[in-house]
Amino acid sequence: MWAIETRALRKVFRPLLGGTPIVAVESLDLQVPLGGVFGLLGPNGAGKTTTIQVLIGNVRPTSGEAFVLGYRAGAVQAKRKLGFLPEKFQFHDFLTAEEFLWMHGQLAKVNPKRLRKRIDEVLELVGLAERRKSRIREFSKGMQQRIGLAQAIIHDPELVILDEPTSALDPLGRRRVREVIQYLKEQGKTVILNSHLLSEVEMSCDRVAILNKGRVVKQGTLEELLVNRSVVTLELKQVTPAVLEALQRVAVKVDRIDEHRVVAEVASEEDVPLLARAVVLDAGGALMGMQAKRETLEDLFIQTVEGEGK
Amino acid sequence: MFTIVRLTLKEAIRRRAFLGTIIILIALYGLTFLPRAFKEAFGGSEQQFTVGVNLMILFGVDIIKFFSAVLAILLCAGAITGEIERGYLSAILPRPIHRWELFLGKWLGVMLFTYANATVWTAMLWFSVLIQGNPRSEMWSALPIVLVYPTLYGTLALALSSFLGTSIASMFTVAMGAFAYFADHFLRPIAAFFDVRILQQMVWLSEWVLPMAVLKRLVQDRVDAIIPPGMGDAPPFGREEVLLFLKPPVETLDTVYVGAYLLVWLVVGLTILQIRDVQ
Repeated sequence: MWAIETRALRKVFRPLLGGTPIVAVESLDLQVPLGGVFGLLGPNGAGKTTTIQVLIGNVRPTSGEAFVLGYRAGAVQAKRKLGFLPEKFQFHDFLTAEEFLWMHGQLAKVNPKRLRKRIDEVLELVGLAERRKSRIREFSKGMQQRIGLAQAIIHDPELVILDEPTSALDPLGRRRVREVIQYLKEQGKTVILNSHLLSEVEMSCDRVAILNKGRVVKQGTLEELLVNRSVVTLELKQVTPAVLEALQRVAVKVDRIDEHRVVAEVASEEDVPLLARAVVLDAGGALMGMQAKRETLEDLFIQTVEGEGK
Repeated sequence: MFTIVRLTLKEAIRRRAFLGTIIILIALYGLTFLPRAFKEAFGGSEQQFTVGVNLMILFGVDIIKFFSAVLAILLCAGAITGEIERGYLSAILPRPIHRWELFLGKWLGVMLFTYANATVWTAMLWFSVLIQGNPRSEMWSALPIVLVYPTLYGTLALALSSFLGTSIASMFTVAMGAFAYFADHFLRPIAAFFDVRILQQMVWLSEWVLPMAVLKRLVQDRVDAIIPPGMGDAPPFGREEVLLFLKPPVETLDTVYVGAYLLVWLVVGLTILQIRDVQ
C-alpha cells in the first residue's frame, strides 16, 4: 500500500462567469511510499497546492483517482489518519494554545483522556509548552507556525502533509521544524513536505517528486536523482588546445572560462581524479588547483524545470 | 458537530455580539416611557395608559424580531465562504468531519446564540411591562414565532454564504427581506385597493421569496391574543376579497410552508457546500 497514490489525476478550474478554464493538474501519477519524508517540488503554478488540496479532500478532481493510505482522498477514514498544516491559515486566535489543540483534538475524535496527555507531548515537541496558556493572537508569526504544526500532529496521524511549513520561520524556527520532521520520521510516519526552500527539502527528504505544468516530471530518492554528477573548476598555468582535448575525453561537458580556468562536468564523483590525470599526464599541462562541487537539488530542479521549457 | 457548535458560540462572543445584546436591552427598557407619555398626551385616562402599554408590546416585539434577524444575518453571512477566504476553515475541513456536520454545527451555534439573545430581550420587555403594573405573561407565547425570524434570515444567509462572500451573502439576504417587506407593506394595499393584477402577482411572488407576510400573520395571531381588538387590524372598509387580501387568515399550512421553506434553504446550502471546492 502507498501512503499516497494518484492515477491520471486531473483538475481543471472553470471560472463561474466564463473565461478560460485553468488546468491546475494534468494527468498526475504520483506514488509516495509509507514511512519517510517526501518532498513535493515545483515552480509556482506547477499544481503542488492543488494536488495537496485534492489529497486532503478540499478539492474534487475533474478526473482520475487519488488515494490516501488506501482510502479515497477526502474520505473520513483517510482524514482520521491525516494531519495537515496549510500554507495560508488563520487560526482562531482568541483561543489559548491549549484550547486550540483541545478543539483540534476533539475535531479529530481523540479520546479526552489521551488528548490531555497528547497536548502536553505536542506542545513540548514544538517548543511551546511554556506558552500553553497564552492566546494565539499573542504569538509571533513563527510561534503561530509552530502551533499550526502542533495541531497537524495532535491526533498522532500516520501521514502528515506540511504545506510550506518553514516559510515564516527564522533559522532557529526552521531547525525546530526539521527536528519535528525527523522525530515523525523516526516514529515511522510519512511526511509530505511542500516547500520552495530546496535546501530544507534536501536536508529533510528521502524522496522527492518534481512537478511542472501539473505533471510529475521526476520522481525518486535523492540518491537516484542526484546522480553523483560533479562540476569541477580547474586552474591551470595555461589552457591549451591539448588540455581541452584531453578533458573532453573524460568530462561530459567542458567550458573554457579564460586562459587559466576551465569548468568540466563529470558524470560521477569517481571521475574527478581522471580530470587531473588528463591534464597532467595526457596533455602535459600544469595544474595549479582544482575545486569540485557536487550537484545540488537546486541544480537538478532548475535543470529539470528549464528542460521542460519553463 | 458539537465542537463546531461550541466554536461558533465562542466566535460569536469574541465578536462582541453581546454588546449589541446590551444595547437592545437598554432600548427595550427605554420603551417604558411610552405608556406614561401616551397617557399624558391623550387626556390622562387609564385607557390611554393601557393603549400605551399595548404599543410598547408591539414596538418591543418588532425590535426583538428585527434585531434578532440582523444578529442572525451578521453571524451567518460570513460563516462558510467568508471563513474559507479568511483561512479559518483550511485547518478544520481536513479533519475527519463531514461537511454537513460543519454546516449544521454553524447553523445550530448561531441559532442557539440568537435564541438566547431573543429570550433575554423578551424577558426585558416582559419586565418593562411588569413594572408598569400591567403584567402580560402571555407575550411569552409570541416568542416561539418571533424566533422564526432569526431562524429564517440566518438559514437564508448561511445557505447563501455556502457559495457567496460575506458582503454579497448579507446583501442578498437583506435584499430578499426588503423585497418581501416592501411587497407586504406597500404593494399589498396598493394591489388590493386598485386591483392591479401584476402587483398582486408580485405580492404572491414575494411570499415565495421570503415568507415574511406568512410570518407576520403568525406573529399577529399570537400578538392579537395580547393586544385588544382594534389595533393592527385592516381598515374596516372595502370589499370582502380586498380585506381578505389585505389581512389573510392564518392557515394550518402557513406553519408547514415556513418549515418547508427553511428545509429547502438548509438543503440548498448543504448541497452546495458538499459539492464545492474549498481553497
